[in-house]
Amino acid sequence: MAICQVQFNDDTVKIPEKVLRRDQARLEELERRRNEKESQSVAEENVDYFTATFSAEKAAIEDLISSCANTDHEKATKMLEDATLKTQQLQKFLNDSVMFLTQYELRQAQASVQKLQGSVVERRAEVMPKKKFAFRSRTARTSQPSASMPVGDKDKTTYFVGNAAVHVRASAEQYGFSNVDSQVLIKRSEEIQQRDVLLSHLADCKVILYGSPNTVHIKNVRDCQILCGPVSSSVFVDECTGCTLVFACQQLRTHNTTATQVYLHVTSRAIIEDCHGVSFAPFNWTYQGMDNDFRVSGLDPKRNNWSQVDDFNWLASGTPSPNWTVIPESERISCWDAKEPSS
Amino acid sequence: MGLLTILKKLKHKEREMRLLMLGLDNAGKTTILKKFNGEDVSTISPTLGFNIKTLEHRGFKLNIWDVGGQKSLRSYWRNYFESTDGLVWVVDSADRLRLEDCRKELGALLLEERLAGATLLVFANKQDLPGALSKDAIREALTLDEIKTHHWCIVGCSAVTGENLLTGVDWLLDDIAARIFTAD
Ligand SMILES: Nc1nc2c(ncn2[C@@H]2O[C@H](COP(=O)(O)OP(=O)(O)O)[C@@H](O)[C@H]2O)c(=O)[nH]1
Ligand SMILES: [Mg+2]
Repeated sequence: MAICQVQFNDDTVKIPEKVLRRDQARLEELERRRNEKESQSVAEENVDYFTATFSAEKAAIEDLISSCANTDHEKATKMLEDATLKTQQLQKFLNDSVMFLTQYELRQAQASVQKLQGSVVERRAEVMPKKKFAFRSRTARTSQPSASMPVGDKDKTTYFVGNAAVHVRASAEQYGFSNVDSQVLIKRSEEIQQRDVLLSHLADCKVILYGSPNTVHIKNVRDCQILCGPVSSSVFVDECTGCTLVFACQQLRTHNTTATQVYLHVTSRAIIEDCHGVSFAPFNWTYQGMDNDFRVSGLDPKRNNWSQVDDFNWLASGTPSPNWTVIPESERISCWDAKEPSS
Repeated sequence: MGLLTILKKLKHKEREMRLLMLGLDNAGKTTILKKFNGEDVSTISPTLGFNIKTLEHRGFKLNIWDVGGQKSLRSYWRNYFESTDGLVWVVDSADRLRLEDCRKELGALLLEERLAGATLLVFANKQDLPGALSKDAIREALTLDEIKTHHWCIVGCSAVTGENLLTGVDWLLDDIAARIFTAD
């Protein structure tokens, strides 16, 4: 890797300029050689090839979506799963081609991918009538309509920032739960797929998010159990206490959090900052359709760095951070469905 | 050494720029840097410390410093201010809850004497998310229109799709070039 990542502690802050410069020169030479090679291969990239492949794939997906109307349930489900997967791959293909496309081509292609994603979700809602979800326990309540409303006001939200009031057409687009007490809150895949989800100001709730959000923010949550399917990018946790969090993600960033357990699958790294009493165990929740959600998320199910937690308040020392621990195997929760929310 | 060689050498040196990329953690700084350089962005870890990357673009040599945005690291940002030509401020456009924090940090930065001459590019990143605020909403939230001390511009972009990254960087280079390379 050409990037020079320098551990930030008291020693390295004082790296002599000379050493830095020498190292920089070495990296630059490596970089130059790599760039030379790369620009050659980029020159060979062919916009025509992109256009042809992209439109063929797009047509195939549209075919899948439209033909699943005339088939039985099981087949339709399979076809839609297939369409989701193919759309995901198309997005990847597009991402990898960005460097040689014009802004216009990129925008067109991105719009097509988004349209495909939209049609898959729509069609899925048509084909599969929503199952009524019931909990076995009598004490657990299912979510109220008010709680599953998008965050904020119906059509307009005003944010006061400094002296300026910012009006944003916000809420319809942002999904999650806010300001809820003592409830069971559930979202299904079609509501949160590849969206940004916000969970804030919750107390004594059990939250279950089936599906693959793009990113999740969890802020100011107390005594909750939160289960979530694979998240494509980062999960950002701030001001949580007494919680049990169970999810898979690419990055986990935990701030100002205490007395919280995290059952984690993370493909890059987890960090904590200004936390104490946080403990970690490997992600061990499964639900029907999770494998497919993993594919949609783009996360590698076999790559889990749950136990390599970096503490940003504990960089200078050679000793392990006192702010986090591993949950002993004998004390790990293994059955999530049986667990009821605290009352 | 002939005069021409010396001139060429000088010129070469002059076409170097130092860009500093800052913003709150999780904004997408490292992802932007890697995407701009055509690298894989799916394996990026939260930045402990900093990344330095040198790359060539339009005949300019760019020295880009990507410094970690965590609270405990923000006081170290100062260590990187020296001789900065361009400041790239990255915002997570979907993170409404930290906009105020974001505005304050940027405001404090612009008061720094050592950044006085720098051009400011604001990237309203993560525009691919359905809940992202538009670049105009970000502009209002960060009260950018009140900035009179620096040349600035805001560009909506996505580090994941790569959309508008080039547009932003090209604006930044043009502005810096007009300012510091006018001698030739
Ligand atoms: N959806 C989306 N996610 C992004 C974008 N840019 C960065 N991310 C994700 O945001 C998280 C933080 O990115 P990173 O570059 O590490 O942030 P940094 O702390 O500013 O360096 C990662 O999980 C990225 O995949 C973007 O444009 N769109
Ligand atoms: Mg980073």
